[in-house]
Amino acid sequence: MSDTGDIIREEILSPEGIQEAIAVMARDIAYRCAGDNVAFIGIYTRGVTLARRVAAVLKSQGLEYPVGTLDISLYRDDFDNRGMDLPRLESSDVPFALDDTRVIIFDEVIFTGRTVRAALDGLMDYGRPAKIELAVLIDRGHREIPIQPDYVGKKIGTNRDQYVKVRFHEDDEREGVFIVEKRSGQTPHPA
Amino acid sequence: MSELNPRKDLLDIESLDLEEIEYVLENAVPFKQLFQRSVKKVPTLRGKTVLNLFYEPSTRTSSSFEVAANRMSADVTNFTISSSSVVKGESLLDTIETLQAMRSDYIVIRHQAAGVPGIVAKHTGASVINAGDGYHAHPTQALLDAMTIREVYPEYKGRKVVIVGDVLHSRVARSTSTLLNKLGIEVAVLGPGSLIPEGRHEFMTRLRSWDEVFDWKPDAVYLLRVQMERQEGQFFPSIAEYHKMYGMNSQRLVRMRELGAYLMHPGPVNRGVEITDEAMRYERSLISTQVENGIAVRMAVLHWLKPETDKD
Amino acid sequence: MGEVSRLFKNGRIATAESSELREADVLVDVAGIITAIGTGLSTPEGAEVIDCAGCLLVPGMFDVHVHSREPGDEHKETLATCAAAALHGGVTGVVLMPDTSPPVDSGNLVKSAMDLVSEVSPIPMFQSGCLTKGRQGSELAGFSGMASRGVPMLTDADRTVSCPDLMRRCMEYARDFDLLVTSHTDTPALSKAGVVNEGRVSYRFGLPGIPAISQEIAIDRDILVAAHTGARLHLQQLSTARGLESVRRAKEAGTKVTCEVSPHHLVLSELDIKDYNTHFKFNPPLRSVEDNGALVQGLIDGSIDLIACDHAPHTEFEKSSDFGSAPFGAAGLETTVLVLHDRFIRAGVFGWDLLIQRYSDAPRKLIGQKPVAISEGTEAEFFVFDPAAETTITRDYLRTKSPVSPFIGETLAGAIRGTTLGAAWYPHEA
Repeated sequence: MSDTGDIIREEILSPEGIQEAIAVMARDIAYRCAGDNVAFIGIYTRGVTLARRVAAVLKSQGLEYPVGTLDISLYRDDFDNRGMDLPRLESSDVPFALDDTRVIIFDEVIFTGRTVRAALDGLMDYGRPAKIELAVLIDRGHREIPIQPDYVGKKIGTNRDQYVKVRFHEDDEREGVFIVEKRSGQTPHPA
Repeated sequence: MSELNPRKDLLDIESLDLEEIEYVLENAVPFKQLFQRSVKKVPTLRGKTVLNLFYEPSTRTSSSFEVAANRMSADVTNFTISSSSVVKGESLLDTIETLQAMRSDYIVIRHQAAGVPGIVAKHTGASVINAGDGYHAHPTQALLDAMTIREVYPEYKGRKVVIVGDVLHSRVARSTSTLLNKLGIEVAVLGPGSLIPEGRHEFMTRLRSWDEVFDWKPDAVYLLRVQMERQEGQFFPSIAEYHKMYGMNSQRLVRMRELGAYLMHPGPVNRGVEITDEAMRYERSLISTQVENGIAVRMAVLHWLKPETDKD
Repeated sequence: MGEVSRLFKNGRIATAESSELREADVLVDVAGIITAIGTGLSTPEGAEVIDCAGCLLVPGMFDVHVHSREPGDEHKETLATCAAAALHGGVTGVVLMPDTSPPVDSGNLVKSAMDLVSEVSPIPMFQSGCLTKGRQGSELAGFSGMASRGVPMLTDADRTVSCPDLMRRCMEYARDFDLLVTSHTDTPALSKAGVVNEGRVSYRFGLPGIPAISQEIAIDRDILVAAHTGARLHLQQLSTARGLESVRRAKEAGTKVTCEVSPHHLVLSELDIKDYNTHFKFNPPLRSVEDNGALVQGLIDGSIDLIACDHAPHTEFEKSSDFGSAPFGAAGLETTVLVLHDRFIRAGVFGWDLLIQRYSDAPRKLIGQKPVAISEGTEAEFFVFDPAAETTITRDYLRTKSPVSPFIGETLAGAIRGTTLGAAWYPHEA
């Protein structure tokens, strides 16, 4: 899943900056969810990493939340546009009952909001959570549907046609949040 | 994201490369996991139409495709044409015209004549999935068989599968053996000489008896269905003799247990012909797993193929 | 068209006797007779000069295996389009198969067929007759009536007389009229619903196969019946090496047997069938590459007497159905010379002399006609061939009604510039 052809234009967050943002998110979640039955769901690929990192921070503070995973490829509204990119499906894993659970969905970036819409549909096919919230590392604006995050690591202003990439060392060579320029010929994936 | 080229049709196994096979088989796994949910359906093909066009009756295969398409939220139209109502061959192009007008996105076709799905594919923008054409090919059966073997043998390379029965008239034998060979699985065949053609794939080792089969130590035994109406008296003397020579019975089951070999069959089975009632209850029978995997694999195939009717 | 004399200038004349080509001008008078052959002939007044520089003048070919489809199946081909195709391919005479609708199985039907030919065909066409009534394989057809109308041969065309007793009676009866019995060698009980050569290819395609023994057994049977009865036997369309061996043995033993091979069995094998392309569906089927080689050898050493193309036109619609249902056969009259030149003459496998022997002389001799040659005092009957040009076989190129040929889309070395028959000259359009 590494986009080798991307040209980095600007670093928005360093690895240290990411850890700080994650700490902010963890603190916010611990405070607002105190006493609730909470579970995390990460959206493949980097939403899963983000959820695990936040969970790890909270675990060090004695708060243990289970982490599930969700591949939303089958719920996207742009299946016709898959073009040359044949989606490889991942195994969704929701190893806990959703009913009466406060579920927090994790994604690395919120942009148009369409991925989160797909995730909501996908999640609700697994059960009926008491409450669903959204946590993102980066909110870059430009929403196309009325969905807003509940927990945000960092909010940044971007142009509509820029690409914001979150890279974790678990998934990628170099960690950081970047504004990148795509190789020519690639079509943007609404995130 | 992968470098695979999108494919419009699935007509046979021979033309698939290993990467494509891996892609479908790997994607079939998450599809199968959906069956554990209370909501087994995903919205992926919402608004798409799947035409199930069966020129040969086959409740099993047509239902499997129907369930697969339903679970992906496609609209399914079943169209069964009895061969008696078709002027042989002549009207094929006319039928294709009609299909074009229906603007289906996917056409699942079974036909008694080899090559017909290819002709349909050439004349329509829909993705065509061959659900069995003559003795030629049955690619989704092969894919579900491979998925089933990979589930029980994650280290499947170098494993051995013996196919038992009518290799001459079997599209299942052709497609499944070709796929297993591509995956590095050894294939042998057992059956009467009249049904094991000389022109078979070079990689099909011929075994002449069950003793030879068990000496060969297969990891799975794949029984083919005996087409009784077609063969009795023509290719072997009687059903009773076939059962005695090639059927899976209790003595052979003992040897199967000793080897820990799995039992497979494409269905529907002829009890008392290629398999006894007792063998149907064999603890290492994969027959019902094959049915379940059939749905998952067909979902993965629908997900993989790209009709020209897609807007992009 | 014929009211003018023609000077074919600076051509090279091909003959059956030698692979040497003779450079010469050929003058054909207004009556269509070759009046002079020589270098530097002066142009008579009013003569049309046809520049043949670099080209060969080749005696007209003769094909003994042609399905004209008229009467009955004029949607596939007519006598007129068939004749046009022949001339376009350098073929100046043919034997028509009797499998029209109705089948030609009596003297009256032979007469009406020949009447039609004389009305519409610019080339000689000889109507053959059936061996059995209606090609049904159960009763003898009207041999004496057909013999009196001069049929060149009797054949059930694409059908074998499967009953050995009936085949014996056919030969016994035909012998007394000195009629040539021609056999489509196949054993229906073995070929059944087969559509391709039985073997790896039939297995891969999942199509029912026609085993080689289906033809080989029929060849052996008919040779034995011919030896037993003393009748003259001609075997159509050899396709296997083993069948050829049987013919060789029979000839050595003095049996009166001749045989033909079709160009597609020389140059195409079962491996050429791709993607269920029905243009490659023939009966007998395309066999193995080894069979191709043996047949070419047999053609060169004379075990195979002659070439016949089995011109079997079908519509594109008929051929567009699935491989199993599509009819057997393809058009051949316009591609045979081009294909054999491209694959064999150009490659040095054999020369023009052999092609003329096997596709011009021997077929004529088979039915008691005189061979044609380019010589003074004879009627002009030859075509002009440019070996340096090339021809792409397309629908537009073909004059037959049937755009069905395994060579469609191929570009072949050499081009036919035109055919002359008597006083008429049929040039190819540029």
